Amino acid sequence: MARLLVQLKLRLLRNALRSSAGAKFAFIASTVAAGLVAAGTFAILALLRGQSASVDLTTVIFTLFAFGWLILPIVAFGLDSTLDPATLALYPLRTRPLAVGLLAASAAGAWPLANVVGLLGVTVGLARGLTGLVIAVVAVVLEVLFCITLARFVTASMARLLRSRRGKDLAAFLVIPIFVLYEAFIQVVPRLTASGKLTAASFDGIDRWLRWLPPGLAAHAIQDASTGHPGTALLRLALLAAAITMLGWLWITSLRRALVTADTSTQSSAVHGAKLRFARYGLRGTVAARFWIYQRREPVALVYWAIIPVIMAATSVSTVTTPRYHVAILLSGVLGGAFVGVFHANSIGTTGPGFGFEATALSGRRGLRAYFAGQNIALVMVGLPLLALASFAIAAVARHPADGFLGLAVDLTALGAGLAISNILTAALPYPVEKRAGNPAPRPTDGYTGYPIGGTLACLAGVVVAIIPVIIVILHTGSDPATVRMPLLVLGAAAYGLALTWAGVRIAAATAAQKLPELAQVAIRSKL
Amino acid sequence: MMTGLLRPDSGQILINRLDVWADPRAVKAIIGVVPAEARLFDRLSGEELLEYAGRLHSLPASEARSRAAQLLDVLDLADDARRLVADYSTGMRKKVALGCALIHNPAVLFLDEPLEGVDPVSGDVIRRLLTRFVGSGSTVLFSSHVMELVEQVCDHVSIIDKGRIVVTGTVDEVRGGKTLQQAFIERVGSRATDREVLSWLGSSSS
Repeated sequence: MARLLVQLKLRLLRNALRSSAGAKFAFIASTVAAGLVAAGTFAILALLRGQSASVDLTTVIFTLFAFGWLILPIVAFGLDSTLDPATLALYPLRTRPLAVGLLAASAAGAWPLANVVGLLGVTVGLARGLTGLVIAVVAVVLEVLFCITLARFVTASMARLLRSRRGKDLAAFLVIPIFVLYEAFIQVVPRLTASGKLTAASFDGIDRWLRWLPPGLAAHAIQDASTGHPGTALLRLALLAAAITMLGWLWITSLRRALVTADTSTQSSAVHGAKLRFARYGLRGTVAARFWIYQRREPVALVYWAIIPVIMAATSVSTVTTPRYHVAILLSGVLGGAFVGVFHANSIGTTGPGFGFEATALSGRRGLRAYFAGQNIALVMVGLPLLALASFAIAAVARHPADGFLGLAVDLTALGAGLAISNILTAALPYPVEKRAGNPAPRPTDGYTGYPIGGTLACLAGVVVAIIPVIIVILHTGSDPATVRMPLLVLGAAAYGLALTWAGVRIAAATAAQKLPELAQVAIRSKL
Repeated sequence: MMTGLLRPDSGQILINRLDVWADPRAVKAIIGVVPAEARLFDRLSGEELLEYAGRLHSLPASEARSRAAQLLDVLDLADDARRLVADYSTGMRKKVALGCALIHNPAVLFLDEPLEGVDPVSGDVIRRLLTRFVGSGSTVLFSSHVMELVEQVCDHVSIIDKGRIVVTGTVDEVRGGKTLQQAFIERVGSRATDREVLSWLGSSSS
């Protein structure tokens, strides 16, 4: 059984290479990334040699790997067909050989190998002497085994939920902490390290609690063996092995149950509120009501809104506490508004076949103007408070809270420009999208892969150009009293942003009216 | 093409004497459409979706709400009115899609495989609603591969093969004394099966 399932996994990996160009590229990129992670982790762990906090940092890294194995299978539930026990439920298999097979299948592939290779960096960084070396190798193997069993336990116990609509919705939100961590590693850590605020010594004592978790046991076993305490090291490894056995037993129990139990988690879901809000305000209000509901109930929409303040915060990190804090306020507002545009630059394609439903009722420029305006109203209702809040928070961190109004002026213009460009792109360059496993955001179908990049560049460039007059006004009014300057700036920016959106809606509606059947076909081809 | 969602290369389509492509707004006001895969706004509840459909067709908000409630009742969806369409079964989706297509009281209703994947009870509800709709003088145009259903509910049939109408007429004219299933296979042609292949299949083999 183990051999068969490993062969299945390898066959699935091989087939990924033979499928579409996009899948092939993703597979190669993933393998290269696995290699880089292996090399990077090995180097980081090896460089800890002689550092005072080497065991603390090793514990943190071991725990981070376990955390990754905990989160990623939930996000990637549909990516690895061997993860879902239901795919094998119809075959006459006994649970125990199936469990061994699934475990072996999990261990096959570039990423598990990258884990082993990367974590073996401890043989250089932490291990001392032959005993230390032997214990390090055993500890790494046990750590990876723990990670795999943990991932299997999580997916087996949550399989029923993850197959359901609600479970998939919840899994979508896991992208947010992953994105936050990614931004932290890319933007925050390098800057803090460069400024000397983050050194290896900062991690001293961080493992006070982590050392008692299974990854911490593995790291500390190596430390103990290397410092002449092989007994304690063996005891820690025995504890780790016991934890793995326990987790394995829990996994097999949940696997047995997952194979024969149906999901009932969505049986009782009912929405609050019986009617469409603002539907009495004509077609514009009706469309706004639909988009407003979607901003709250569609996981992708919530993920997008959560990502925007993260982008704004990440871009302001380097300058917010410096005398050039204005750059943080301006840049974050520009990017916030631009990304509202980027995320909605193909709103008909991402609406999917549902737009066909709307297209059977919509026609003419007037109807389409109401459609785009309604959509913008809903997006402003969420986007403006969010952007304003982020701008005032950034201004507060910069210790110039009143300059939050400058940020608000930038937000108003950037949001207006972002929405205008997204409306025009939606009408002029729509493309069908399809759902993908492991990511709540849909991807363009084959043949349209360049469109999102084009859309992103157009939104960024458009917002940057649109914001120039506002920046000129801000620079030339610096000496005017704030009580006059700020209200005028905010009002002026609001009027300017509104004018931009109005123009965008008119251009988009005129374009869409000419090609409504084509837009409907694009939407119907989307697989959501 | 008849519903204004696919642009024709040439020709003219008239619905109740209105040209679909010359005056799409007027035509959209008098037609209702239920596509084969009832892909709807599944993050709306059934009630919200019906109201949305009514408002898109310019019904006043109170009228849209009242018709939505009546349709939910007739379609046997009143208990699930506040559940998300995402959590509906195939039959429930078909029913709510039919409700959306009917809420503005169209003169002509287009249905694509209306009973595909639908349970018998929901199928009966849909059938009764359609019969009542047609009885009032409205027109239903639907495509189906289930010949028994076509025989039961249609009075005029066209068989389309590879995008072309191969025969058209009343049900009796098209079936010509046979069942509609047999008439369909004769017109479109059947694939012969080879008994030699799959000789191992069946309980008499090993």
